[in-house]
Amino acid sequence: MRTTRILLTGLATAALALSACGGDDGGDTDSTDEAQAAAGDDTSGDDGEDAQAPEPAEIRLWLNGGDTPDTMRDWLIEAFEEQNPGSTLVIEEQQWEGLVDRLTTSLGSASETPDVVEIGNTQAPTFTTVGAFSDLTDMLGDLGGDDLLQGFVDAGSVDGQTYAVPLYAGSKYVFYRKDLFAESGLEVPATMEEFVDAAVTLKQDNDDMQNFSGFWFPGQDWRNGVTFLWDSGGELAVQEGDEWHGALSTPESIEGLERAQQLFTEASGAPKDGNEADPQVPFCAGEVGMLSAPGWVRWSIDNEEIGCPEMMENVGVFAMPGSDGEPAPVLLGGSNIAISANSQNQELARSLVELILSDDFQAQYAENGLTPAKMSLADGLGDDEFATASIEAVTNAKLTPAAANWAVVEGSRVLEDLFVAIANGGDVEQLAADADASITEQLD
Amino acid sequence: MTPPVTVHGGRREDPGPSTAARRRTASRRKGRRSGRRTMPYVLLVPALAVLLAALGYPLFRQAVMSFQEYGLAQQFGQPPEWVGVDNYTRLLSDSYLWTVIARSIAFCLLVAATTMVIGTALAVLMTVVSRGVRLALQISLLLAWAMPHLASLTVWQWLFDAQYGIVNWLLTSIGLDGFAGHSWLIEPLSFFIVAGVVVVWMSVPFVAFAVYAGLMQVPVELEEAAAIDGASARARFRLITVPLVKPVLLIVGLLQIIWDLKVFTQIFVLQDAGGVTRETNLIGTYIYRLGLGEGQFGLAAAASWFVLLITVGLSLYYVRVLIRDDEELTR
Repeated sequence: MRTTRILLTGLATAALALSACGGDDGGDTDSTDEAQAAAGDDTSGDDGEDAQAPEPAEIRLWLNGGDTPDTMRDWLIEAFEEQNPGSTLVIEEQQWEGLVDRLTTSLGSASETPDVVEIGNTQAPTFTTVGAFSDLTDMLGDLGGDDLLQGFVDAGSVDGQTYAVPLYAGSKYVFYRKDLFAESGLEVPATMEEFVDAAVTLKQDNDDMQNFSGFWFPGQDWRNGVTFLWDSGGELAVQEGDEWHGALSTPESIEGLERAQQLFTEASGAPKDGNEADPQVPFCAGEVGMLSAPGWVRWSIDNEEIGCPEMMENVGVFAMPGSDGEPAPVLLGGSNIAISANSQNQELARSLVELILSDDFQAQYAENGLTPAKMSLADGLGDDEFATASIEAVTNAKLTPAAANWAVVEGSRVLEDLFVAIANGGDVEQLAADADASITEQLD
Repeated sequence: MTPPVTVHGGRREDPGPSTAARRRTASRRKGRRSGRRTMPYVLLVPALAVLLAALGYPLFRQAVMSFQEYGLAQQFGQPPEWVGVDNYTRLLSDSYLWTVIARSIAFCLLVAATTMVIGTALAVLMTVVSRGVRLALQISLLLAWAMPHLASLTVWQWLFDAQYGIVNWLLTSIGLDGFAGHSWLIEPLSFFIVAGVVVVWMSVPFVAFAVYAGLMQVPVELEEAAAIDGASARARFRLITVPLVKPVLLIVGLLQIIWDLKVFTQIFVLQDAGGVTRETNLIGTYIYRLGLGEGQFGLAAAASWFVLLITVGLSLYYVRVLIRDDEELTR
C-alpha cells in the first residue's frame, strides 16, 4: 500500500509539474508575446465599437530597437493625445531579432495586432505582398508625395499600391579610433584595399591585446559582410526569367567572400560565431580599431550607463570606401511604417501615421543622426562628420534581392550560418555553393 | 496524467478478500454498484473537456494544415490550397529532417539520463545530511527551479561568452591558454554540451524534489532491519530503496524525456548567441524556423506530427512499465 501511495504522490506531483510547465512554455516560446497579449487585452474592450468614427481608443505602436530615442517617443505620445482627445498612444519597443516572427503571429489576429508597426525596409515586401497592411495609397500625397524617400516607398508598394511608407533611413558607416590610427600612422582609407590594409595593420600593431579587432566583424554579421560581396560585383541572388537563383558562388561573389574571410581571420578579434549586437561593449573595452554600425551606435558609446563618453574625443567616422573610391555599396538600412490591416482603429492609426510623417517629428530624426523620410528635411542632419558619413553611406546603398520569398532566406538563418563558417576558416567556394543550393530552393 | 490514475483506481476495486480493509471496501461497493460505474466517467468529463478544448482544436488545425500549402498569404486571409501529402513527402525525402530527429533523440536521452542521475543523487544526499545543510540545498534548488528561463539563459550565455565569459577566464587562468577567446558554441558537439548543462541545471531541482518526496516514504524499519542483517549501504539502496521509489523514478523519467525532446528556449537563445543554426537545430527549433521563421506553416504542421509520434513512441515503453507494475501490485 505504501508504494501505491508513493505512486499516487508521484502522479500528483507530475500532474502539477506538467501544468506548471504548460503555463511556462507559453512564455518561453516568446517572452514578448506575453506583454503583447496583456496589452492586447487592454484594447480588445474598445474594439468593434469604433469601426466608423474615430472614437477614443488606445493605439498601440510598435517601434523597433533603439533607433527612435525616448525624447521623440515622448513627443509623439504627447502630440497624438493632444490631437485625439480621449485616445491614448502606447509605444511598445520590439527587438529587431525575431521581429518577422512576431509580426507574423500578431498581425494575423484582430485582437492581438498592434495598430501601427515599424518594419525594416527589406522586410516590408514580406507583409505587403500578403495583405497584412492597410492600403495607404490615397494618403501618399498628404504624407509628402515626391518628397518621400523613393526607394522606401517602392519597398512598401506592390502593383502600384502603397502599403508601407518610409519612416527613416540610415545605413551603416565606419566608426574608428583616431588615436590608434595616429599610432599606426594610418590615414582614413579612400579605397576598399586601403580599408582592408588598415584593418590588418591595426590588428598587428595592437596584437598585445587578446581580442583586439582592427575591424570588428562578428561571424553572424552578414549584413556587413554583404558589402564586400557587392563591392566586388557579386550578388546574393539573381533573377533569371521568373526564377531566382542564389548567386553566392559566382566568381565575383567568391572574391568578395574571400575578402570577408581575410578580414575575419586577419583583422577581427570578435567571436567567430557572435552576433553584431552591442558593438559599444568591445569598443569601450578598447578592443576595436574600426567597426561598421548604424548611426545610433554613437549614442550608445556616448552614454554614461552602457558606453564610455570619455572615448568620444577619439571617435571618428567615415563611409566605408568601395574599390572604386566611391562609398561602398552597403546594405540600405532604415524602416517603413504601416498600419495593420486587422487593426480595429484604422482612422486613429492613419492620424498617427500622419503625425509620424509630419515635418515636426521627422526633423527630430535628422537631429538624431538618421536620414528623415522626407528629402527636404535632410539638411537637418547638419554638416558635421557624422552627418557627412551618414549621407555618403546612403548614396551607394543597396537592397536585398526583391524576391517575394526573400524573408524565407533570412528566416532560415542560412546567411548567418554561411558567414560563421567563413569566419571559422571554411572553404569559401564549397560553402558558397551549398548556401546557393539552399537559397535557390527557398526562393523557388 | 488522468488515464494511469483511472486504471489504477479501477484495479483497486478488484476483490481482495485477504485484508480487512479490502473486505470493507467490497461490502461498501455492493450498495452503490451502479453509481460507482458511471461516477468515474462523470468525474472525467471536466478534464476531458479541457483537454479537448486546449489540445483538440490545435491538433485538428495542425492535421488540416499539414495537407495544405499554408504560408504567410494564408495567415492573412487567402484561401489555402490542398496539396495532399506533398508536405509529408517533401519532409520524408529531405535527409535533414532525419538528422534533426536523430540529433533530438540522442540529446534528449543523454540529457534526461544525466538529469535523473544527478537529481536522484541530490535527493539521496538530502536524506542523509543535517537539517541546516538540507535546507540550504533545498533553497538553492528551488531558486534554480524558479528562475525564469530567459533570465537564467542570459546568465549562462555570459558565463560561456567567448571573450568576456568567466568559464574561459577560469580555464586560461589555470594555464589552459587554448581557451582564450574559445567559442563554446561554434562546434555542434560543444554547443550541445553547453545546452545540455543548461537544460540539466534547470530540470534537476524537479527530479531531486520528486525523488526526495518518494524517499521520505521508504520505511526506516526496513532499512534498519537490512542493516542489522549486514546489507551494505549500496545493497540497501539497490535492493530496498530503488524498488520502493521505482514508480516515482519512472514517472519523473518519463516527464524528463518528454520535456527534453521538446526543448526549445535554451537552443533558440544559444543559437542567437552563437553557433551554426543548421548544425544545431533540434526538433523544436527546426519546426519553429520552418513555420514562423520561413512562413511555411503547412510544412511545419506536417513536421510537428513527427514530434508527436516520437514522443509517444519514447513514452510508450514507460507507460507500459508503469501499467505492468501497477497490475503486479494489485494482483
